[in-house]
Amino acid sequence: MGRSTIALAGLALTLGAAPATIWADDSSAATAQEVVAKVREAVQYLNEKGLAGFSDFNNNKDARWVWKDSYVFVYSCRDNVMIAHPLRPDLVGRPILQMRDDKDHPLFQDLCKAGAKPNGGWVEYWWPKPGEGKASRKISYAHSAPVSFKSDIQVGAGIYDDTLTPEELSKMIEESATPQKAVP
Amino acid sequence: MAEQKLGNPAVVGLAGFGLTTMVLQFHNVGWMPSIGPVVWLGLIFGGLAQLIAGIQEQKTGNNFGYCAFTSYGAFWIALALMLIANNYDLFKASTQDVGWFLVAWTLFTAILWVGSMRIHGAMAITFTLLLAGFILLDFAHFGYPAMTAVAGYVLIACALTAWYMMARIILNELYGRELLPAGRPWVV
Repeated sequence: MGRSTIALAGLALTLGAAPATIWADDSSAATAQEVVAKVREAVQYLNEKGLAGFSDFNNNKDARWVWKDSYVFVYSCRDNVMIAHPLRPDLVGRPILQMRDDKDHPLFQDLCKAGAKPNGGWVEYWWPKPGEGKASRKISYAHSAPVSFKSDIQVGAGIYDDTLTPEELSKMIEESATPQKAVP
Repeated sequence: MAEQKLGNPAVVGLAGFGLTTMVLQFHNVGWMPSIGPVVWLGLIFGGLAQLIAGIQEQKTGNNFGYCAFTSYGAFWIALALMLIANNYDLFKASTQDVGWFLVAWTLFTAILWVGSMRIHGAMAITFTLLLAGFILLDFAHFGYPAMTAVAGYVLIACALTAWYMMARIILNELYGRELLPAGRPWVV
């Protein structure tokens, strides 16, 4: 009871702080499109700000990297470390590759593989929703982020969904990955 | 009047160059998570101390050392200030911007590399490794981030050869003999 009240309050705060104009739908579940947009925004942010940008994900400056029931996390596969996680500060600085979900699945090993693809990729695993103790099915999008003097940074965010498959979502990425051409 | 013995500024220049280069590579290869120590060493040892050593080289008539130490001292100060400024959103430098900064230093290093081959083998090896490290870092900033770690190992070797030259000057003097040889110049 107490926990769900806190979760609701947290969600209300998050929604209140997020710019309401970006996403028109008022559902409390993040969509795949939002996840892709946020991950790409985070990649761009780290590209511009470099190493100095990591802490902005942890302290959730401007409430920019947490929205609805999703959030952006940053990690390094080669260094085997969680660099930033706005909702789980206990995981920051901890190794990731041996982490296993409720189905004994090494989720970060898959995220690392998916994130290494040129346009990023989707991975399915089990992870609790913000404020919940029980794991739900989550599909996350991972993408690499070039950062000065840091060879292997990836950014991820996910949706909680019971039906979508990583394959379907990858198709969506391919369609939206065509770079926008400058007007001649 | 007896001639006063002067110290060789290169011992400090090489110490600061080598140590700061080394610590940045501890970060680049992934052993040291934070870049913090690089920023502070870059300002003081690789930066200020090497810059002063470079200015002192001017009086010795050694143009190569004068140019190299002063410039790489300035490199470290500029790099450290750039990293600090990014944290405060001041004249922010993106990954590609840092890449172009490094490309310019690569071209500059290429000129000194040509000169280094006329000095001695140790200098030629140090500058070959430094040039290779810069080129790898350039690639790391333009689409091949995995090259950062490769550059890290190359530049650790570069820092060690710089320290070898420092050790040569100090130890050969203290032991009164050619304990550590410099090696023949690559171009005679």
